Amino acid sequence: MRLYLSYIFLLLVLFSCSSKEEVSNSQQVSSLPDIQPDYIGVTVPSVIAPLNFSMADNFELTDFVFSGKGNTTIHLQSSSTPEIPINKWKDLLSENIGDSIKVEVSVKTENQWLSYLPFFIHVSADPIDESICYRLIAPGYEVYSKMGIYQRTLADFKQDAILENTLVSGSCVNCHSFKQTDPSYLTFHVRGDHGATFVATPDKEITAYSTKTDSTLSPSVYPYWHPSGDYIAYSNNMTRQTFHTRESERIEVFDFKSDVTVYNVKTNEIITSPLLKTENFETFPSFSPDGKRLYFTCAGPKNMPAEFRDIQYNLCAIDFDPATGSFGNHIDTLFYAEGMNKSVTFPRPSYDGRFIMFTLIDFGQFSIWHKEADLWMLDLATGEAKPLDGINSNDTESYHSWSSNSRWTVFSSRRGDGLYTRPYIAHINENGEADKAFLLPQKDPVNFYKELLFSYNIPEFSNAPVKLNIPEIEEQLMQEEKPSFSFKSN
Amino acid sequence: MKQNLFPKIIGVDTVFSLVFGVAAFIFFGFYYSFHLNYQEQYQLFLFTPRYLLDFVDHPGGLSDYLGNFFTQFYFYSRNGALILAAMLVLLQRLILATTIKLGIPKHWMPITFLPSILYWSLLCDENYMLGGLIAMILLALFSLIYLKTKRGTGQMITGILLLIILYWSAGGLFVLLTLFILFTKFTGKSKIGKNDLFYAIALMLITLILPHLAKMVVLQYPMQKFWIGVNYFRFPENYPIVLPVIALLIILIPFALWFLSKILTIKKAGLLLSILTLLLSAVTFGFIYNSADFEKEEMMAYDFQIRMRRWDRVITMADKKEPTNPISIACLNLALAETGQLGEKMFEYYQNGIGGLIPDFTSNATIPATAGEVYYHLGLINTAQRFAFETMEALPEYQKSVRSIKRLAETNIINGEYALAAKYLHLLQKTLYYRKWASNSLEIIKDEKRVEQHIEWGWLRKARIQKDFLFSEQEKLNMIGLLFMNNNRNMIAFEYLVSATLLDKNLQLFMRYFPLSSSLNYKVIPKHFQEALLYVWETTNEHTEEEITSSISNSIRTRLKKYNNQYDNTRNAAIMKKNFGDTYWYYLHFRN
Repeated sequence: MRLYLSYIFLLLVLFSCSSKEEVSNSQQVSSLPDIQPDYIGVTVPSVIAPLNFSMADNFELTDFVFSGKGNTTIHLQSSSTPEIPINKWKDLLSENIGDSIKVEVSVKTENQWLSYLPFFIHVSADPIDESICYRLIAPGYEVYSKMGIYQRTLADFKQDAILENTLVSGSCVNCHSFKQTDPSYLTFHVRGDHGATFVATPDKEITAYSTKTDSTLSPSVYPYWHPSGDYIAYSNNMTRQTFHTRESERIEVFDFKSDVTVYNVKTNEIITSPLLKTENFETFPSFSPDGKRLYFTCAGPKNMPAEFRDIQYNLCAIDFDPATGSFGNHIDTLFYAEGMNKSVTFPRPSYDGRFIMFTLIDFGQFSIWHKEADLWMLDLATGEAKPLDGINSNDTESYHSWSSNSRWTVFSSRRGDGLYTRPYIAHINENGEADKAFLLPQKDPVNFYKELLFSYNIPEFSNAPVKLNIPEIEEQLMQEEKPSFSFKSN
Repeated sequence: MKQNLFPKIIGVDTVFSLVFGVAAFIFFGFYYSFHLNYQEQYQLFLFTPRYLLDFVDHPGGLSDYLGNFFTQFYFYSRNGALILAAMLVLLQRLILATTIKLGIPKHWMPITFLPSILYWSLLCDENYMLGGLIAMILLALFSLIYLKTKRGTGQMITGILLLIILYWSAGGLFVLLTLFILFTKFTGKSKIGKNDLFYAIALMLITLILPHLAKMVVLQYPMQKFWIGVNYFRFPENYPIVLPVIALLIILIPFALWFLSKILTIKKAGLLLSILTLLLSAVTFGFIYNSADFEKEEMMAYDFQIRMRRWDRVITMADKKEPTNPISIACLNLALAETGQLGEKMFEYYQNGIGGLIPDFTSNATIPATAGEVYYHLGLINTAQRFAFETMEALPEYQKSVRSIKRLAETNIINGEYALAAKYLHLLQKTLYYRKWASNSLEIIKDEKRVEQHIEWGWLRKARIQKDFLFSEQEKLNMIGLLFMNNNRNMIAFEYLVSATLLDKNLQLFMRYFPLSSSLNYKVIPKHFQEALLYVWETTNEHTEEEITSSISNSIRTRLKKYNNQYDNTRNAAIMKKNFGDTYWYYLHFRN
């Protein structure tokens, strides 16, 4: 008897899975559907994981039809978030490279079907890197709990931990950086009682360093690899944070002092220039893709924290000779943000050398806590800078990085709920214009992001899986004495 | 004789367990209930697959998950007491069942209570987690299952399976199951077979290898975690030695009793039972008496009552027994302020300075939770939000806090950050006891008017800061002043401001701030403020008679005269306290 009942139940399940209600006598609605996440009109790479979404409101039933110029059509019906079958989705994407997928959405309410205007998802012919890496951390204040650096393949929903702070109690992991998306050149920090900065290259085993020297203001932070892999630019910051009392603002992070330095990976020496070690505040360094320029942001000296609302950083550059490890004799101002009563943070040059993407805020340097933070693009050929309207929102857009072919950017934005940063990916065309960005897809994105109490921090593209020898890292962290960076005197 | 004795004892063991359970229930439910409320607030048990997966992806996680599942019922402390009592009894009954299976006479039964008694005493410390007790129960259960499995190959396979399952569900305790199996295999055997020997070696190898295998798979924890697994203690880096002792007792008691029953011939079973019962009762009393911390219980009671906004209960508690703990005093002062009695009654109780108004921030999960309540009700919403967040992040075992999440939802509603508030409310909808409140709040935030009209959120929205300034822990007084200047109808802010000057014995500042009260239209100036005003006026002579008669009551004027007389004549603190201990003047002159 039980066996028969089981068969009947199984058949019912199969029947309910395969049968779909016909969308008949549908009433046409002259608007686009209100879906979450908003994937209407976005441009995606041809390998992206299924863009699952659901209607913002609840309906008895929702009907989704995805079609393109090929034979593949995906038809789904659900009362919640339907899961797009990954293999059919891949077929659909590959059939429509350089074209668009049409999405038709109908909803059933009070026994009446309503059909919205169809929308399109554009499938770019530009390839994208294999995965993105990010830190997941609660957007807190001074105290931190569990956090980690993770990698997520873009073609599916798989997330793996690269390093979690559970490995060493009370530690904090941050500032992971690869050489132009190549994770075989890697650096990241671990803070806490057993803290260290790790550096690895294909020629050099991963090693934990103490980066504070007598000649630098602080341990080295905000790393950026030289394209040769021989140098890492860091900044040394005496940083503090304080807290706002008004509702729209939470935290202000500012420096009392900061300098930019360059670490020679081969000689284990820090090098700098008198022009970078001044009373001015220099921070957020990055190398040009040819390795001959060092970009950074710079502000005139201020009395901190009293003048925290008055400090504004400009985008500057200094020549760098990788052969000798020497700097040029003058500093160029590439974008005079002060003139606009604004401040520049996180300059990130595209790897084709054409653009610099940066964050623009009203003042200061820690843009993640500035709701006005927007992404801007500086065209190095014309010197013209403009906001990336396609991807900015009313809330914070901050940390951003480029794909290895400079056709995609991943950035963090607080547009979802105003606090928890989420990774968005946008296509950038050859003119430096951004298409509409899309939220990193998830199997059930609405519930996933609603339940997640972590922010996505420092999203970086990676062109290969990141593999760390965790026992080795644990052992090095627990060592009392760690090798130190040395400072090369001029 | 024997035949007559046993039927009686069979009933006795159940009675003993029941009495023990009732005693544990009464203790936790009636004398230690706020410890349970304290535990409940520092976790966020969600009925979601991801919450479960976060626990079961590492050894010992299942015990922690089940611990949190049951801890959520502590919301009502009597439920919590019932659960704890049931679990302590369950542990004892499992050990008893093991001894019965080993054929041990029941007059040894009181000994089986020992692990439960010890764990009860541990649970008097709020930092011991329920997951630990569940892991112990699983150890006892798995031992019994093994014992009850028919001897032979089936039992051997069962043993290995149980070992692996116990490792993943209860972490390092699986080592003791190995020990139990080995004891079972070899106890009482005169000759050890080859198979038994191989099996023993295999078990030991599995025991040694499992944690290393787990480390290779899970990776992101130190090796110690793979040998311990369960979060027995809130601070995972601490592993109290008493825990392995209790676990060892679970395994050893049945075999020790088996051994004793073999070597001792008990003629008077009833007498032995009575002696052991008396002994164990004394042990229970001794352990619990030494372990219970009723001062903490009182502090947790104050904190719980202000969390629940039961202001009158806080004051009633203080009237019964004057609080001296800084946290309890801060709770009492908040309750007095919320009921409009701060200026009227605060010096009737012990005061410990400004810290008794708003405790200083510390990077732990306890003090910021209480201090955050004060900031919230004052109207410093961003600071309350920060303290709620920090409380949660400071939880050492990577848990989240349901109390903090609720406060984050509230503060974001007040700040008009509805999308963020909805995120927290959606999480609370996945809890057992907060879902109704969360669903109701989600409805309210759909309508701006309902938020504005909400008796608490509407007022706090008006009270909060409009013009930004940076928070300073060292300048609390200035910040409360700015808060009051921002909304001069904020009576709590005003009373905290001037009370802080009184507690600081800074009467100059009190006189500077007090005129700000004009916006509050006091019908009668609160008693302690009258006392301070009159004292200053009389000592400085900078007043008019009209000022005094219009502001200060006759009784206070008369009382100050008496106070001054006695102060000039005796200055005896004890006498002054007896006659004027409820006045500001006594605080000013005699409290350091």
